[in-house]
Amino acid sequence: MNEIIKTNKLCKTFSNGGVQQHVLRNIDLNIYEGDFTVIMGASGAGKSTLLYALSGMDKPTLGEVVFAGETITKKSPDELAVFRRKNCGFVFQQTYLVDSMSVLDNVLAAGLLTEKNKKVAAAKAKEILKSVDIEEGLWEKFPTQLSGGEAQRVGIARALVNKPRLVFADEPTGALNSKTGKDVLDALTKANNEGQSIVMVTHDITSARRGNRILYVKDGEIAGKLDLGKYVSGDKERHLKLRDFLGGMGW
Amino acid sequence: MTKELLLAKSHFRKNKGTTVGIFLLMLIAASLLSISMVLFTDVYPTAQRSADRLDSGDGVIKIYNIGEKDEEFIKELMGDDVVRYGTSYALSYNSEGTISNTDGAEVVINVLVENAEEAFNKTMARTEIISEDTSITDNYIYLPYQLHTSGGFEIGDTYNLKLSVKKYDLKVRGFLENTYYGCNNSGCYEMVVSDNVYDELMELSGETNYCAAVPYELKDGVMQSRFATRVSNDVITHDFTMSAMNVSLSDIIMSRTFMSLIIAVSFLTVNIIVMAVITMMIANSISNYVRENMKTIGALKAIGYTGKNIKASLLLMFIGIAVIASIAGVALSYAALPTVAKVVVAQMGLAYNTSFSVIASVVAIVLVVILTFMATMISVRKINKIVPIVALREGVESHNFKRNPVKLEKSIFGLDMSLALKTLFSNLKQNIITFVVTAFLIFLCVISLLMYENFNRNPNLKLMALEICSGGIAVEYENADEAYDLLASMPEVSNIRKTYDFRAFTNDEDIFIINVFEDPSKMDNTDVCYKGRLPSHDNELCLSGKYAKNNGLDIGDEIKFEYADKSYTYIITGFIQTTNNGARECIMSEAAARNIADVENFMPFYLFDTETEEQTVKVLEDCESKLGDKLMNTVNFYQNVEGSLATFKGIATLMLVLVCFISGAVILLVLYLLIRSLIFSKRRDYGIYKAIGYTSKSLVFQTAASFMPSIIVSTILGSVASYFLANPYMQLIMINFGLMKCTFTIPISGVIIIAATMIVVSFLFAIFESRRVKKIEAYNMLVAE
Repeated sequence: MNEIIKTNKLCKTFSNGGVQQHVLRNIDLNIYEGDFTVIMGASGAGKSTLLYALSGMDKPTLGEVVFAGETITKKSPDELAVFRRKNCGFVFQQTYLVDSMSVLDNVLAAGLLTEKNKKVAAAKAKEILKSVDIEEGLWEKFPTQLSGGEAQRVGIARALVNKPRLVFADEPTGALNSKTGKDVLDALTKANNEGQSIVMVTHDITSARRGNRILYVKDGEIAGKLDLGKYVSGDKERHLKLRDFLGGMGW
Repeated sequence: MTKELLLAKSHFRKNKGTTVGIFLLMLIAASLLSISMVLFTDVYPTAQRSADRLDSGDGVIKIYNIGEKDEEFIKELMGDDVVRYGTSYALSYNSEGTISNTDGAEVVINVLVENAEEAFNKTMARTEIISEDTSITDNYIYLPYQLHTSGGFEIGDTYNLKLSVKKYDLKVRGFLENTYYGCNNSGCYEMVVSDNVYDELMELSGETNYCAAVPYELKDGVMQSRFATRVSNDVITHDFTMSAMNVSLSDIIMSRTFMSLIIAVSFLTVNIIVMAVITMMIANSISNYVRENMKTIGALKAIGYTGKNIKASLLLMFIGIAVIASIAGVALSYAALPTVAKVVVAQMGLAYNTSFSVIASVVAIVLVVILTFMATMISVRKINKIVPIVALREGVESHNFKRNPVKLEKSIFGLDMSLALKTLFSNLKQNIITFVVTAFLIFLCVISLLMYENFNRNPNLKLMALEICSGGIAVEYENADEAYDLLASMPEVSNIRKTYDFRAFTNDEDIFIINVFEDPSKMDNTDVCYKGRLPSHDNELCLSGKYAKNNGLDIGDEIKFEYADKSYTYIITGFIQTTNNGARECIMSEAAARNIADVENFMPFYLFDTETEEQTVKVLEDCESKLGDKLMNTVNFYQNVEGSLATFKGIATLMLVLVCFISGAVILLVLYLLIRSLIFSKRRDYGIYKAIGYTSKSLVFQTAASFMPSIIVSTILGSVASYFLANPYMQLIMINFGLMKCTFTIPISGVIIIAATMIVVSFLFAIFESRRVKKIEAYNMLVAE
């Protein structure tokens, strides 16, 4: 498999009032193309920090991140922004849509960064919105007029619209109920089945089951890895395998 | 109170940038207000105090061509109308002279030349020496103080005094202060010369220019205008070669201080706009505070703070800023006042030092504080309505996104501009503030430009002079034909027209300057008649529009004029606009003037045109050499205008620079405050944009560009509106001085430069200020929230 991301001795240290906290310690890992990689770990283990360091949203203290053969850790903030628009999509726990923009415009605001032709960009945005089950009637609504699930699916559409090399999802179901959470996971799974690489942080075992590769972060290090294979709905054996792995990690 | 104080300190710490911006606006407002108040409250009283000190009475009557000292006649003339009067004698005549030592331009001035004995022994309306050098003992001259303050003359300089074609180079021995003859706006300059020069002038002049100046104090109940009319008529009746002119103390003080009044009003107008901006900024700041601190307000209310406590804390903060800023502003105004005072003194011609004015300072501070109090009280009302639990959930939705005015799919603009427009619409209130402020500031700049253009760069002579020509010569009536023939023989001279003026009265008390043209149709400045037509028959005249308006007269009406024992009723054919003689002037033909006066008694002026100023100089020199002593006076019109406007030029330039500077400062402060608050309130959105791939450069542009449509549209509309409204606005002011139809030139190129500068400077500053977006990091904004 082709690797998209390769990290080399990745470290992140926060300093608070003179006290240093090492959140990531010498992490070496690979993320592969086409994978649905899930990063799990206890609260405060450093999984979100790892996700944002991998995506170039946050700068590591030491080490480097090589993304598609390009070292991104030395890029300037604006170079990273240009890099992200071409290569990364983000789904956040809080959706983070722009409240003053309609649903369609939220997706187009990302789509137009890479596709200058408005008609083409709009067609792609509409197509992607349909693919995450956001019907036309909602396109001119504003984020505050949507349900949590709808808003998160718009967030997924925005993340997917530029067909990025990798989508980073940070607890995408964390603020949703189980029904809407499932819809969101279905949308991500569908995208992955269509070839989209995804890295998702979660502490929810149901969400984690959607991944084909599990990385467990403990005390800032990768404590364990598990290959689950492609997600198949209702596969109990897969669930047990994951539960045993997490049990072994002290989950 | 302690908890409110603690909260106020917390607000201040959290909003340092905003408070600094509002502080600076308040500083400007208090400073402008203080300067205006000092000018309003101090300058007029200073002139009044000076008049009282010099025992100036109620007015002065100058009796021209009195021939010799005649106390009996003057006593009879004053009659029972006065409590007391004083008499002094001098030479009084119109002469070309320099009032500016810097440009040396010669203007026609009315001078009152005295010797020391007459000048310094007056019983009323005394003349005081402000400074002198007694070591200069011969061939000296004392000049009015204004020729020092405005004209730049110093003791020891040489002053060129003329009488007819005779010139005297005199050493300046000192400067004088006199209520009635110290300022070019009051129409006459008093000059005291050494006895030898005075005797020589007397000999040369003969009885022709001998004049009595009679300051007087009227008895209670005597109307000054009626008194002046009676005296004027009695003088003409006594001897038709004599004439009298009255100047009232109130008119003289007004003429000496009106420029300070104009400066004060201009500062006040700018100040009103700054105050309006402060109000909007306070309202905007409080609205932002409520939106951004909804949770905090909810928490404060939940733990027992009342809406009153929170409101009081905001009030404390803004009042605190207002008090400190206004005190600092008043202090700043006293640093700026000496510069303003220089301009005032230059025009007023009185020794004047700015001193601390308690009233002006208190008024400035109190007004700024009261405005702040009111703006804060009105803006904080919404805090009462906030319910703690709703606020804690941040459930108060203040935005309504039902409309999507800029759809990215259909927008004709690029992505960044489209997003900038979206920001504009979601930030509409702030953009309306920018729009309104910009439009007003543009209007102020255009008014200043108008004043600069018409009083300095290209003086608008058609509005400021009754007639425009290249030059003129004055001769006694018996030499008129010879003078005309000489001018007519010169190839460079064209359109020679004969003119003279005299004073007649109407309505028993209104003394008019009657401007007589041999043939009014030859006048160059036909624009002076703004309504109707110039007179062409011997029973017609053109009357001052202001006088006609005040007295309910219209074109076609009749008006009776009296001169000595003659009177005649004329038909009004048109209205003229004039600022002279309190706008009491009219124009008539020589034939019409003969109905009430023997025009042969007046000294005619031949006005003429040439192609260039050099030709005018040559023509005047030729006239001097060929007419010799017969030539009574010469005028180089362009130099005359140049010199007469010297004081106004300085003021017009000062106003243009000051208004443009203050306008720039205000719009930049407004942008500073609005961009700060926009970036703060949209920091989450900026985080999102950065996360999905927008660069800081793009977001900086979007932020700056979001303010540009309102600035550009406002600048364009403001410029166009100002272009059309500036003259009507000026007319509202100038109508009081007699200009009934203002057609001041407004240079389109100047307006375009102001507009373009406003747009470019605003955009550059907006870009500069929007760079704060760079500091927003997507990770911190989205993950750490």
